Amino acid sequence: MIFEVSLGQIVPQMSGATVECVHARPGDMLAMGSKLVDLSVDLSRAFAQECPPVSYYRVVLREKACLRALTVKPGEALDVGELVALFSTDPAEPLDQTPERALRTTVAGIMHHENMFSGQQL
Amino acid sequence: MTLVPLALGPLEATGFRILRSGVRWLVADGQWCEKDRPIGYFNVSLEPAGRLPVGQPRFADEMDLQVAFAPRVSGRLKLDDGHDRGGYLNIRSIEPWDPAARIAHVETGEAPDDGTATTLRLLMLAGRRMTALADVHSGLLPGWHSRSRGWWGEPGETPRTLLSLGVCDVAGVVLGGQAAFTEMFEMARGALQMVHVPDHPIAPCVPILIDQLERTPAQYEAIARDIHGHFGALADPLTADDWIFLGAVLAVLKNCPIRDRHDAFTSGGLQQLGPAEAVILSLAVEPQSILRHRRLGYHMHVMRHHQAAAGPAVRSWLASAFETVKRPVEAIRRDYETLVDLVRKQTGARIMCLNRMSTSGHEDIASYLGFDAPLSDTLSTVAAKEMNVMLSEVAASHGLDVIDLDAAAAEIGGAEHVPDGIHQSGLLQTILRREILDLLEAPRA
Repeated sequence: MIFEVSLGQIVPQMSGATVECVHARPGDMLAMGSKLVDLSVDLSRAFAQECPPVSYYRVVLREKACLRALTVKPGEALDVGELVALFSTDPAEPLDQTPERALRTTVAGIMHHENMFSGQQL
Repeated sequence: MTLVPLALGPLEATGFRILRSGVRWLVADGQWCEKDRPIGYFNVSLEPAGRLPVGQPRFADEMDLQVAFAPRVSGRLKLDDGHDRGGYLNIRSIEPWDPAARIAHVETGEAPDDGTATTLRLLMLAGRRMTALADVHSGLLPGWHSRSRGWWGEPGETPRTLLSLGVCDVAGVVLGGQAAFTEMFEMARGALQMVHVPDHPIAPCVPILIDQLERTPAQYEAIARDIHGHFGALADPLTADDWIFLGAVLAVLKNCPIRDRHDAFTSGGLQQLGPAEAVILSLAVEPQSILRHRRLGYHMHVMRHHQAAAGPAVRSWLASAFETVKRPVEAIRRDYETLVDLVRKQTGARIMCLNRMSTSGHEDIASYLGFDAPLSDTLSTVAAKEMNVMLSEVAASHGLDVIDLDAAAAEIGGAEHVPDGIHQSGLLQTILRREILDLLEAPRA
């Protein structure tokens, strides 16, 4: 069975997000609770402000699955609804089929950290 | 309906003549105006009435002086002719302050009973420019200020002072929508002075404030010489961004706003106000790690969005001349305790602090399995809760006052009123403003 993860509307005012880091590689069999990606949401993408209203989020798997394709990399800007990754239950399952559903994930607000694309805080 | 004339009312500065510009209206003729909400303003200047004083004259470091004014009753505004002079006559101070000068009427259904309705309520504003070059004439308190303040009061009253040293969560509440303290002015019952020091280029986290309170003139000279030595020895020339950033850094390092004294011209004459009676901070500005100068030991905290203003030489200096020091919650607690004790000893001011929003409507955590322990190193809401608990404990042990943003936002809906955890809606700012004013106006426990 094929599953997908797309960028959800984490914050009502957001129009997109930036990928800050990825925690898995295609081919990895990920257990429930595995980290997938960290994202930053900058609301000034929609409303220009001097002090950017940036918050950071982590997407974590709520079910076991094999990561088959990761369509994003750190630094990339995504629009809401854009595909992030494809998963399957069987590691060898062909990907040329319509995803059955969205993979179950958790989204949590996280602290900025040094491994993010936006870099280390001086 | 009653037509109430609006006159300027008394404003004095002993030893000076107060001059004003033409009126710059904030409300058009015929529009409704609320009582205590500014409807216009003047630029003002203070000219020595006699011989020029020896040394630096008062207000010389505050090049932006203005007086905003508000009616004391609500109603429909009728502007008198001839007060909006236009052009530079609305910018330059050209006319002496005349307490009896009438500039408008307000048509009101209210029945003012104490005889004060015919005199405008005045909000005095002063901005100390980060550089004298920042001469902007576009509105209330325009330009780039290293300190801005607003004060008000009735004859015979002495304003109490609140100093705001925070990031956006505090600045928005204290400064208000026009960045000129107008909402505080509208809500306050007594005489007050609001002082705001911005978070650029060095953010006012507690170690920075402790450094300011403890730094001697000799230590400042050593820092200035060290900076001169470092940048003077570079092979490549500094960029304009480097120079401007460094100038602002030196200005912040030299000042100690908590100890600042303030001159105020009022309806009762010139008053000299001591250091702030209350200082409001933001818990959100406290970083988990901070830069410390490797040789001289002073701290530096430049927020990410302000780092972009620095040139390459300054960014390289921050990365090489400073070391990163981790700040677990216990270290932050000790810093707060030290600050409260220091401030109590040096000025006696009470410390207020806005806590952090510790819940988020934007996450859906079903299990903590995917997050490394300790959770507060990863999850922002858990980190915020730990910090809030720490702040409450400091409040209990050291007498600090907590402004409970966390509870206020949760009551009205955090996702809607503080969507990124920092920047609040107008409603939330109004609630917090009321809490701050209640604390200011209440007797100290």
